[in-house]
Amino acid sequence: MPIHVLFFGATSTVTGKRQIDVDITDGKRAREIFDQLIAEYPLLAVHRLLFSVNQQYATGKEIIRDGDELAIFTAVSGG
Amino acid sequence: MSALDFLELTIEPIDINSVARRVVPPECGATVTLDGYVRQFTKGRETLHLFYEAYEPMALKEMEKLIKAAKEQFEVSNIGIVHRLGKLEIGETSVVISVTSPHRKAAFAACEWLIRELKRSVPIWKKEVYADGEVWVEGET
Repeated sequence: MPIHVLFFGATSTVTGKRQIDVDITDGKRAREIFDQLIAEYPLLAVHRLLFSVNQQYATGKEIIRDGDELAIFTAVSGG
Repeated sequence: MSALDFLELTIEPIDINSVARRVVPPECGATVTLDGYVRQFTKGRETLHLFYEAYEPMALKEMEKLIKAAKEQFEVSNIGIVHRLGKLEIGETSVVISVTSPHRKAAFAACEWLIRELKRSVPIWKKEVYADGEVWVEGET
């Protein structure tokens, strides 16, 4: 089951990617997927990270479905 | 959201006056407008230019949430927020927030609240480019 994970700013620099597609098993929670990605790209953990699922800030408890859009980014700095 | 509320992301220079005028209804006595722009020196280090990036669809949703929340909390009529993206030179406007209200106090309070919350929750990031390198600025969580 494919899902999309987006990176912005510092997290796209760390991963070298703006988007990756990840194949996961159905019924996983967001937290597991984010943890798995941080394990894959350990330099992400250096940053203060925020997470979203389908363009809403994530609690981590969300059950991830086919085609969901997740994102990992650093604490925001607009303004 | 009222007909005069609006939120935008743009790569074009922002015309502050047009933002301020767009939010004004006939019954309002005050518009408070914040003009946020690019500083040349941050903690003693000279910035050559800035680059802003957004998670655009989520940023627009978060900006809309802020407008709705501000209108619940403060006695204000209309709110406009425009944030610039892409490369910005020193002194260029990065963000404009205009708030109209019948009385100025609520407009000042709402404008201050909006910029504080925008800096905390709207997914936009700033890269500072120096003579000897560049860094993505990380906010507070």
